[in-house]
Amino acid sequence: MKAAQAGDGAAYAQLLKLAVPIITRVVSSQHPYGLEIDDIVQDVLLSLHYVRHTYDPGRRFIPWLATIAHHRLIDAQRRRIRITQNEDAVPELLETFSDDQTNWEVAGQGDPELLKRAIADLPIGQRHAVELLKLQELSLKEASAVSGISVAALKVAAHRGMKALRARLTGEAPSTKEKAE
Amino acid sequence: MSKIRTDELILQLASEPAPVRHLRSPMTRTAIWLAISLPWVFAIVFVMGLRPDLRAQMSNAHWLIEQGAALATALMAAMAAFCAGVPGRPRWEHLLPLLPLAVWLGALGQDCLQGWISYGSAGLTLHPDWQCLPGIIMVGMGPAVAMAAMILRGAPLAPMTTTALGALAAGGLAEVGLRLFHQVDASLMVLVWQAGTVVGLTLIAGLFGRRVLRWRHADVRKHAFDAKN
Repeated sequence: MKAAQAGDGAAYAQLLKLAVPIITRVVSSQHPYGLEIDDIVQDVLLSLHYVRHTYDPGRRFIPWLATIAHHRLIDAQRRRIRITQNEDAVPELLETFSDDQTNWEVAGQGDPELLKRAIADLPIGQRHAVELLKLQELSLKEASAVSGISVAALKVAAHRGMKALRARLTGEAPSTKEKAE
Repeated sequence: MSKIRTDELILQLASEPAPVRHLRSPMTRTAIWLAISLPWVFAIVFVMGLRPDLRAQMSNAHWLIEQGAALATALMAAMAAFCAGVPGRPRWEHLLPLLPLAVWLGALGQDCLQGWISYGSAGLTLHPDWQCLPGIIMVGMGPAVAMAAMILRGAPLAPMTTTALGALAAGGLAEVGLRLFHQVDASLMVLVWQAGTVVGLTLIAGLFGRRVLRWRHADVRKHAFDAKN
């Protein structure tokens, strides 16, 4: 340290390298937040650099270094407390809006195989309507032109098909009227 | 996560190894501070004019004890402030001014008690003295500026304690100077308006400690990071 104070760069680099494990030991023994240890060690090195003129060669080096490390650690803990005081740990929001349809991304898209089987089990009219309008995303006019079914009939069939699918996938029993259809 | 790696930071710091000027021992620094401050205090006392009864006060043991204790408080507080800026020094050194401060306040308190015993409530008259606060500030300004410049060279390990001790040192010395030209010796008046002002300024200075004394190296880390990129 004496050589470093006199301007010897090589001695100073060697001293800082030797100081790192000591600082790390001091910091990690008192600091529970492992992720920040490297930051605090660097802070201590910078602090050491800026107050290196306060070292008295007549006194021991380790207590001088440990005092700086200890104070910088306290500063880091104060900083952390200040930050965490203004932060609230919020769990992942499970809903964006109360409507179920807005939450499909959070709830997941479900089992595609189950959906495929449920569509296959639909009556043929409803299945065609669902496939054309919902899977292929055709317009009513296009779907009508492709299938030869009127627009009104397609609308009704798609609506009933979706309702039946929802009932099947959510476990709700479809009404007797829908079953009959 | 650190912006630069520790070994890179070490190289960066070691690449600017300008020789540094050692911080002198706290005792030497106290002597330097006193040598800088006393001319200011004497100059103010000279401008304001010595109190006419100073010669008589010089033979008043109680007045001498109070002045001596105030001066000792100032010196011990200065020494403690300088000790507080050196890493690795024992913490008990921060308490150095407590004994002379207790003697000073105790002497004033004892004088108050004696006045009360002798004269009852008439011995404890207290009226506003608006010269004490500006007087102490005026006399203490020089020592305070010198103290601020000197404690800024130390490490900001205990900023509140250091600034409070520095203010106590400047205030104590100002009090000694003030009583050389300000002719108020009623014990309660001195206790409240003079010692009270010193203690009040000490506490206020302590509150501003963190703003005055802090680690000023955030820009260096940025510099090191910029140099790397």
